[in-house]
Amino acid sequence: MATREAETSAAVTQEQGGSVALRGLTKHFEDVTAVDEIDLSVAAGEFFSLLGPSGCGKTTTLRLIAGFERPSGGEILLDGTNLAAVPPERRNVNTVFQSYALFPHLDVVDNVAFGLRYQKIDRQERRRRAMEALELVELGELSGRRPHQLSGGQQQRVALARALVLSPAVLLLDEPLGALDAKIRRQLRLELKSLQEEVGTTFIFVTHDQEEALSMSDRIAVMNEGRVDQIGTPREVYESPATLFVADFLGVANMMSVEAVGAAARGCSVRVGEFVLEAGCGDVEARGEATVVVRPERLEVRDRDADPKPNCLPGMVDRTVFVGSNLQVMVRLPTGSLLQASVPNEGEGLDQHRQGSPVDVHVPPDALRLLSGRPSAPPAPETADS
Amino acid sequence: MSAIATQGAARKPAVRPSRLPSWLANPSGRPRFLALTTWLYIAWALVPVLFAIAFSFNDGRSRSVWQGFSTRWWWGDDTFSVFHDPIYTNALQQSLKLAALDMAIAAPLGILLAIGLSRWRGRGSGTANFLMLVPLTTPELAMAVSLLLVFTQLSLLPFSAVHLGTTAQVIGQVTFSVSYVVVIVRSRLAAIGPDFEEAARDLGASPRQALQHVLLPMLAPAILASTFIVFAISIDDFVVTQYMSSSGETTTIPMLLYANARGGATTPALNAVATIMVVVTLLGVGAAYFALRWFGARTQTREQGAAVRDLATMEG
Amino acid sequence: MTSERALWRGLALPGVVWLVLFVVVPAYAVLAVAMGEIDTLLQPVPIWNPLDWNVGFVKEAFSSVFPGGSYWPATRNTLLFVAATIALCFAIGYPVAYYIARHAKRTKALLLVLIFIPFWVSYLIRMLAWIGLLAPDGYVNQVLGDVGISSPPEWLNGNPFSVIAALTYGYIPYFILPVYAGLDRIDKSMLEASRDLGASRLRTFLRVTLPLSWPSILAGTVLIMLPMFGDYYTNDLISGSPHTNMLGNSVNLLIQGGPQKNLGAAMVLVLMAILAIGMLYYLWETARQARSKA
Repeated sequence: MATREAETSAAVTQEQGGSVALRGLTKHFEDVTAVDEIDLSVAAGEFFSLLGPSGCGKTTTLRLIAGFERPSGGEILLDGTNLAAVPPERRNVNTVFQSYALFPHLDVVDNVAFGLRYQKIDRQERRRRAMEALELVELGELSGRRPHQLSGGQQQRVALARALVLSPAVLLLDEPLGALDAKIRRQLRLELKSLQEEVGTTFIFVTHDQEEALSMSDRIAVMNEGRVDQIGTPREVYESPATLFVADFLGVANMMSVEAVGAAARGCSVRVGEFVLEAGCGDVEARGEATVVVRPERLEVRDRDADPKPNCLPGMVDRTVFVGSNLQVMVRLPTGSLLQASVPNEGEGLDQHRQGSPVDVHVPPDALRLLSGRPSAPPAPETADS
Repeated sequence: MSAIATQGAARKPAVRPSRLPSWLANPSGRPRFLALTTWLYIAWALVPVLFAIAFSFNDGRSRSVWQGFSTRWWWGDDTFSVFHDPIYTNALQQSLKLAALDMAIAAPLGILLAIGLSRWRGRGSGTANFLMLVPLTTPELAMAVSLLLVFTQLSLLPFSAVHLGTTAQVIGQVTFSVSYVVVIVRSRLAAIGPDFEEAARDLGASPRQALQHVLLPMLAPAILASTFIVFAISIDDFVVTQYMSSSGETTTIPMLLYANARGGATTPALNAVATIMVVVTLLGVGAAYFALRWFGARTQTREQGAAVRDLATMEG
Repeated sequence: MTSERALWRGLALPGVVWLVLFVVVPAYAVLAVAMGEIDTLLQPVPIWNPLDWNVGFVKEAFSSVFPGGSYWPATRNTLLFVAATIALCFAIGYPVAYYIARHAKRTKALLLVLIFIPFWVSYLIRMLAWIGLLAPDGYVNQVLGDVGISSPPEWLNGNPFSVIAALTYGYIPYFILPVYAGLDRIDKSMLEASRDLGASRLRTFLRVTLPLSWPSILAGTVLIMLPMFGDYYTNDLISGSPHTNMLGNSVNLLIQGGPQKNLGAAMVLVLMAILAIGMLYYLWETARQARSKA
């Protein structure tokens, strides 16, 4: 159902999530284009994330789906019906706000029951369903409290219950974990994910935290400056980034400017300074100026060998950083670039790769990804960040 | 990097000496002079009023020389005391009548105007906003003159139907009271923000229902507070009330004060009636403050100074 | 969506209608009378059609406020009194606001209540209080007599210093509150940073606090300046003599006094013109501040 209608059965848990399709969706504000021709499809029952830095248009997109902004162009389809002209109160879509927006003059159970009032359900039934929703988020005993008496995590759950009690086809979540402590955030991530699986509603989740998106989503749309750069499963966007932006945004990416010179056995030959490497994935047909990307955990750091293996770059250990479960080894290449490798901690601490020692960095061809274009800023020496 | 490093190497003393003589330097940091000024100011501001209140209990007829304690001007003297002299009782009545009417009209008008203005995003909103600010920024005399002229010179309905008197007085008072209500309610609206109404819409409420079920309950403290403020403003108003008055019947307490303050013939009953005004106004303002604080606490947590700041910045 | 916009416009409508009826139309009435005629019975005849406007009275009003004109004394008085009062309000009010905003910790709430009170005690009552004290047999003269000043000046009869003191007394609460609000808003860490970098308390005040509180000083000044230009009752109560008349008195006498309503209306226009200059400066300064912050 695309528009709201009264329901006769009370089930909060239901199997129907709605499918959402955005076609050519655009939104202009004064002199800024916040959302620029977005095309994407979210399948029913999916946990779909919109991931990107602040200002990339993800929140605006969410608000367009919810109905708080009118699109300048394009379509928003919910189970095939175009929502563009439908006001927010009649869309079968509910939102969990970043600030939760719990009504301060109502207690928790009245907050949760709020939306049921507009569906012509009698008072007793409203209360019953609200309590059911509160049980679902494990807050049954706090039903009589006021919002300001709850902790951040509890408020967030009330906001969830309030939205889910209406059995929407799609639930929109606008950075709901942003205001919480790191530990609670990690705990709630798991709970949200299992809640979504239990309830079956389609979740569209907005975040700038890539760890969040990677751990929770079925699929992710990476957004940048109003456009969608890539849509894919967490593994796809992480291991096979389609653009430099996606590569850089998700995790740490080692980027090197290269010249793609010709075909090779398993991909493309690229020239890095005076060295030649084989790039086995990405845009292997490209020629000329390009960039290669490789993830730190795929690099192998070995002591300098008289007889170097293929696809190795010689260098000097610039610095080693101990981060607990692994070591981050910065290797400076003769070209001047700095590569960051992530190697497991073998128990020797910083002695594993001493500062100043000459090493070979092996780059497996299937981990070296060729992408056309140059990054907007020159690849800066990577610093250790967790 | 190196310049900073070498400077540090030539070690500076841990504590740099002061350049002021020790008695002026005030090392304790406690601002004695400022504190003194403040308390002196407060005394200067309040003591004369306390004197005026005290003189209302004067035994003799003087308002400047103390002649002993008595309550004759309050209720003792059958002819001339505040509660017996019809001049004073009528003025009290008129003041209260105007205040009640002002509250009843200006508060709803102002609240709706505040909500409408803050959400209205079309043509004319800027002009409407400017119009609302005009009564706050023009001298009351200019407003009073303009109203006087329009009620006496313009033979067009509805102005010709209004003669000087209570109706005109109420109209005049409401006109600037509305602006005060708007300012108070708007600042609270800005603090509340759009999130809650959006959440209500998201959950199925129409714009009108969101307004009724969410926004208005959250605005309740500001609505209550601004109503009390209107009361306090109306009670103390002078210029417009005087210009709009017609006869002795439409005299209010401030007008009475103005007419009699310099006269030698008036008694401390005048001080008594002034005392009543002071008490009533402060009660009204106190009620406004508590409305903001106590009911405000249920709708949002506020710190102590913020509610006061609200009332203060309302003026500026 | 358009029905939504209609809702907000609908809510604002009664208020806007009221304001148009009782602010805009009366303002036009002032123009019509100022640019009007006077009939044989010495009653004003407003002229509603701008094409028929008679600028005689307005010309007379404008020329009379310049040196040599009949209302120049009142204008001069007004400018002097307002300037002196603003200076005094600043000299007394700023330190008080500063102390309460930045220093008073335990007593802050109490002090706020105390400076709040005169704000809400009727202006007239506060003047009434001083009339009692400044009377020839009042306490001020008694105290002066005790210290040896046996023939004090007459405070309540045409004394410009009394008027200035009364204006200061009356308007200073309206100055202190916005200044306090502005000073209170200044982030403590900015001042701490200044001290940390080596500036003394005085230097920090001059180079950080004062500039940051400038907008609120301006706001407070405008807030008291505007009503002062329409003030006639202070003079009537405290001085009672035409010697210290302000522009407000002139307007009041012209309008209430008799057959000079046209001139009175024209004087209102003059008053608004003088104020417009002040308002424009305020708006320009506020806009400049906003731009420099952006």
